[in-house]
Amino acid sequence: MSPEIIQPPEWAWYYIAVYFFVAGTSAGAYFIGAMEELFGSGREREVSRAACYIAFPLLILVPIPLIADLGRPERFWHLFIYNQGGYPYLNLISPMSVGSWVLLIFSVCTLLSFLDNLVADRVISFPLFSRYYNRIPRRLYAVFGSLAGFFIAGYTGVLLNVTASPFWAATSPFMGALFIVSGASTGAAAISLYLIWRRRNSGGEVERLEAFDRVVMVSELVLIALLLILAGRTALPLMTLPFVAMFWLGTVALGIVAPLWFKYRFRRHPFGDAPVLAHYLCILAGGLLLRISLLQAGQL
Amino acid sequence: MAKGMFVDTTICTGCKACQVACKQWNGLSAEPAHFGKRPGVPYPVADNFTGDSYDNTGTLSATDWRHVRFIEQIDESRREKRWLFSSDSCKHCSDAGCLNACPTKAIVRTDLGNVVVQQETCIGCKFCIPSCPYGVISFSEETGTAHKCTLCNDRIHNGLGTACAKACPTGSIRFGELADLKKRADARLAQLKGKGEQARIYGYEEADGLNVFYLFADRPKVYGQPEDPVVPQRRLVLCSLVTILTALGVGAAALVSFRERLNGRDEEENHES
Repeated sequence: MSPEIIQPPEWAWYYIAVYFFVAGTSAGAYFIGAMEELFGSGREREVSRAACYIAFPLLILVPIPLIADLGRPERFWHLFIYNQGGYPYLNLISPMSVGSWVLLIFSVCTLLSFLDNLVADRVISFPLFSRYYNRIPRRLYAVFGSLAGFFIAGYTGVLLNVTASPFWAATSPFMGALFIVSGASTGAAAISLYLIWRRRNSGGEVERLEAFDRVVMVSELVLIALLLILAGRTALPLMTLPFVAMFWLGTVALGIVAPLWFKYRFRRHPFGDAPVLAHYLCILAGGLLLRISLLQAGQL
Repeated sequence: MAKGMFVDTTICTGCKACQVACKQWNGLSAEPAHFGKRPGVPYPVADNFTGDSYDNTGTLSATDWRHVRFIEQIDESRREKRWLFSSDSCKHCSDAGCLNACPTKAIVRTDLGNVVVQQETCIGCKFCIPSCPYGVISFSEETGTAHKCTLCNDRIHNGLGTACAKACPTGSIRFGELADLKKRADARLAQLKGKGEQARIYGYEEADGLNVFYLFADRPKVYGQPEDPVVPQRRLVLCSLVTILTALGVGAAALVSFRERLNGRDEEENHES
């Protein structure tokens, strides 16, 4: 392949990479919440409650950067309806087309879960709402939502892999896998931050969350190594400024290695003071910088 | 019946008549001026010369749907010299990466086999741009949409050939039915090989066949074309499978983390009671 002729799409990182990050975090958080909903005891719902309160508000932000990056933002609805025929349109071999539809489904699931929790927490007391949402099986939309969430977290990586851009193409087929794992990690960090903020971070569910997060972050490091080996010379931009600072220092060192070390070091008495808060913020920042680095390195 | 073009680069003279005809017929804006005034300099200064032979177009773009490449080949002793030309454009691939990627059905194939961007449907998502393995399709800031060669869609649906083929003074660019063009290409290839020259057809196998194909006198890379182009969507199944497997792995990790501890907790509670 002759890399010099491939034109970059010039997607703005502050729209597209931020979308990758926000959607991935929302999906990761929702999935973790759904897991507790499906496999937890049912007595402790702190994690699933936090997940629902995080996933939907984050997802509301998503259309803003997505639409803003379009050349013709007013035509965004063409993603769903073919404007010349007036019928719904889905292109099964275009990750962007399928992703748009699944984003819609995921939004509905997160909205249902969000409302359900508002009803359960008696924030919404309107009787009709309460009756209606109590009837919908909570676990059913947790299943559909987590499947859609997995898709949302992963399809953005697949979308990059199925282009002709030398770096993105060379990292095939692992970009989607990395984005899923990173989404799970940032989702877990977002839930933990929420629990600290709401002062509900002392139960056993947080312990479980930490155990899950440790496994996920080790997998993330393995996938990054695999990705770089596959990328070979096409990953050379990651060795230049500003990627050295963003990717190696921001994502790998401060976003994964340091928090992972912290998690193992303090796994017996994990919560309570400021460094804990800081390490979650590092994980979130690392997840954002990962998306920015991989997006921009493929557009040089 | 599929139509296309055969570009015999061995008889191209680099006159750029095709570029001019393309711009004129399709109403594409002109190149920016190559000379500009600079404060304090009394004479015009060349500000966007590429320094690459006679080529100041550089690449295909939203307003350059055709680009004549100039390739100067000089051996180390500087005795042997060769000047190659190649008029490049969209290949109208049989399996088109841009068309596969388009999420709005803005990119369609017509009954004559050419691939067209419907300007009124395009939303400017730019996904088609990196999906083209030939770097053909480009984004226009002016219209907010993607642009590329249409194979003169309006002309060919009214019984005319493409503007570039019509303007070509040497017959280097030929428009017609693919089967006829392939016969012509094979005959020309045999003629050149008979004379002992190195030549090859580019576009018979690539991306299931290109509707615009070339006769090159050197390796495709020399002409700025990918040696082994891959339609990006052919990686979709593998990428999806690996992503699904990873999702299952993360799911299993969550299951183990949540279940094990839950069971352990239940056992502890039972033990205590």
